[in-house]
Amino acid sequence: MQAASLNLLSKHLVGMVTPTSRPLLLLHIFIFPFQAEMILLEMQDPNTGVRSQPQRLVITTIPHAITGEDIVTWLADRLQIDVQEARSFGSMLVALGYIYPLQDHKRLVIKPDTSLYRFQTPYFWPTQQWPVEDTDYAIYLAKRNIRKKGLLELYEQEQYNRLHKWMNHKWDFIVMQAKEQYRAAKERKKPDRVVFDCQERAYWVVHRPPPGTVSAMDYGLDRRTDPNADETQTSDYYERIMIFTQQAIMRPRVKSSVSIGALVKHCATYIGHDPFLSACLPSNPWLTDDTTYWNLNMSNVETPTKMRVERWTFSFKELLSDPRGRDDFRLFLKKEFSGENLAFWEGCEDLKWGTAATMKEKAEQIYKTFLARGAPRWINIDGKTMEVTMKGLKHPHRYVLDAAQTHIYMLMKKDSYGRYLKSPVFKDTVKKAIRPEEHKFNDAQLEQNARNRRPSLSPIILRQQEQELRAKMAANAPVDITQLCRFTTPVPHFSVYSGIIDPPSSNTSPSLPFLPHTPICPSPISVALDSTSASERRLEASEGEGEQNTEARVPDRGNVSKSRVALSLRRLLKRGCSPSAMFASLSPKCHTAAATSSRIQPITPDEPSQAPPRRTGNFFQIKVDIPPECRIYPIESEDEEEENRLASEEVVGTEEIICPWESLTQQNGTG
Amino acid sequence: MRRRESRKRRREAGAFVVACYRHLAACVGGSMDSLQLRDELRQMRQKAQNLATALCHHLTGHLRDKSLPEEQRKEMELLWVAFSSSLELLHVDICKVLKISSNFSLANSASLVQTGVQGGGSEVAARALSLPDLNQTQARILPPSLETEEHSTMEREIAQIDHMIDDMEMKVNVLRWTVEPHGPQYADPLSSTDSASLALVSVVEEQPGPRLQPLCQRSHVFVLLLLFAVILVAVTLSVCVSLFS
Repeated sequence: MQAASLNLLSKHLVGMVTPTSRPLLLLHIFIFPFQAEMILLEMQDPNTGVRSQPQRLVITTIPHAITGEDIVTWLADRLQIDVQEARSFGSMLVALGYIYPLQDHKRLVIKPDTSLYRFQTPYFWPTQQWPVEDTDYAIYLAKRNIRKKGLLELYEQEQYNRLHKWMNHKWDFIVMQAKEQYRAAKERKKPDRVVFDCQERAYWVVHRPPPGTVSAMDYGLDRRTDPNADETQTSDYYERIMIFTQQAIMRPRVKSSVSIGALVKHCATYIGHDPFLSACLPSNPWLTDDTTYWNLNMSNVETPTKMRVERWTFSFKELLSDPRGRDDFRLFLKKEFSGENLAFWEGCEDLKWGTAATMKEKAEQIYKTFLARGAPRWINIDGKTMEVTMKGLKHPHRYVLDAAQTHIYMLMKKDSYGRYLKSPVFKDTVKKAIRPEEHKFNDAQLEQNARNRRPSLSPIILRQQEQELRAKMAANAPVDITQLCRFTTPVPHFSVYSGIIDPPSSNTSPSLPFLPHTPICPSPISVALDSTSASERRLEASEGEGEQNTEARVPDRGNVSKSRVALSLRRLLKRGCSPSAMFASLSPKCHTAAATSSRIQPITPDEPSQAPPRRTGNFFQIKVDIPPECRIYPIESEDEEEENRLASEEVVGTEEIICPWESLTQQNGTG
Repeated sequence: MRRRESRKRRREAGAFVVACYRHLAACVGGSMDSLQLRDELRQMRQKAQNLATALCHHLTGHLRDKSLPEEQRKEMELLWVAFSSSLELLHVDICKVLKISSNFSLANSASLVQTGVQGGGSEVAARALSLPDLNQTQARILPPSLETEEHSTMEREIAQIDHMIDDMEMKVNVLRWTVEPHGPQYADPLSSTDSASLALVSVVEEQPGPRLQPLCQRSHVFVLLLLFAVILVAVTLSVCVSLFS
């Protein structure tokens, strides 16, 4: 395989000889075209290249050193570009490792003054063909350790230890090889030894950058195929071309005036907000190393910047995609009592982007909270969409709620968005928005900033914070019942709304006032999961997952606190645990009960005896006290067991929300 | 015991050749790339091949021997891992040299990169090949036919090493994660370091601490000596004055 690639290479060489008959190097660098190498070859030409001078050290002189300003002027001259661009081109050459600085070796930039540079030997040029090996790095560090007698820098020390851990089996070899290379180096003349050390050090500064050095080697993943290599013209290749052109023909076409008009409009709107094309206030962190801009634009900031607020007015999508904007919009909707639309939309997004394991539960919850008849946060979608959604929910998948989500999105966009932009909430935000002053750094301050660069918060911490915030929000979500029907009206003797987890000794279950008046009943989910039905208790009995239940009930009763709610919510989300536990933990007047106790007392004590084994899906079921023929649920519920259960529970009735995909044909309970 | 010694010597020789090869490979394409360098590289490759094949046979033979005692087997496995790693290093180095030498033809000497290297590295090669002196060939231009021949030789050698590595993997199954190294984590600094070159290199380091250390130590000693001498002179003078007055 090596031979084949080399043959290809030689073919290239033969075919691409330029008039000046300079050999072309095709070291297959994906990131930088091989023109860079051509430029480099021209640069080092002793006659027409950059002027070189000897570097004077204490004992000896080493030739072939070039100054930064010479490089910049040569580049500007040769490529016919201005000095600034020549400077950045030169910096790119240094950052990639073709030229290395002799002083201040950790900063890979061209300084347009008399600081010295030297060309890197082709052995150490960057190439993707031979990836940078950790073995080599380990040998280099071992050599350095020998030379500096154990005084490695901190990051080098860390790397050394890490490599020692991961390449332990090779360690003898590495140490031996390091010693041998060190000994071999001693054979050379002193100046050569110095040059080789500098070369090697520069190579490793580029490929294993010390902290504070900008690395040019971050290019992401290697591609599967080499885009510079010729592709063999097999039938597969032609087939792909055919498919591509067929699809290109079938694409819908738009009049060019229309599409160009759209482009122009987009550019005109966004030009002020593009950090490349206009000044970024206060200053672009990538240029000045000053992170004020990022701090001012974080997602949970109190006062957003004026530019950010202006973006929200461009389109509804912009408003929703900015977390701060979404917060503002949520606040507005809360005042208007139509927060369920946004909550539903967010729930659908969560479903779409969440992990596959939690999908089913999420879909169930969303159904319970938003779509079911009599749900606490019922959203208003038209019949056809509802039909489609219900059908889909029988076999829930990631995009099952797409139609409903689009409908709600359009509703919000056409209706609420317009009102939001005229609302006092928004006007207030606009008034409070800040416009930061532009930074004007001079060179010394820029250097200072570069030195003070620090890494930002770890993404793990950020994700944890996000999750906490989300849980907090879910806990504090408003209970907005917009649809009341007789199915939701509580009957006083329901134990449903009691919400009191009595210790096993007591048998009373006083009732709570009607749901919307419970001030501390935080989660709509808990409300929806009115869970003291007999079926659930039966379910619990049959499930036999005592440890699961007890564990789920471990969170303290007592006053609802955010963390507890979050905890139990998380448990619920994770395990689909018994909602009775959840409800119990969330309800306002719960007494602190013993950890093991606290099954919600049935009203009719004989209920548990009638427990046939049920499947887990049943725990969403809440019975309603209506005759069976009046139930108009999305699915057929002609199960005999259902009938039996209903018949036996005339006294107790609780609202039943059966998830439509849980067909009642399964008999076995999951224990 | 003697066998172990010879094994050790051979292994070290092998490692040394690989190390030297790397040093020389770093010169290829640079300003001191010459026919001589290529020649030296070729000779070192030969030597490396010979050592490699010998060691390979030796190790394979031993490791396939089922009746080997446990600790000897462990030692053999260590050697095995070291040997295969050095083979891989050599392989990569030869590939790189082939690539670079094919791109930087010696015919066009102006295109050789000015890297600042002045010596060719013949001392290194001499040590590696353990020859007292190498023939200094004066001709700097390699006829193109010889160049292609050299390329094909190199390709053949690469294929040979490939084959050897594959062979080794096939014949003996050494579980690398079970191999535990004997040696220390940190290589001991060699005692016979050349202080002058150390000073030179540490000047290039531009770090105030380690840079000044070796120099400071010497200058400190010097200053102390001077002071001591001055004090001695002053004391003798005062004694003389007091004696004569």
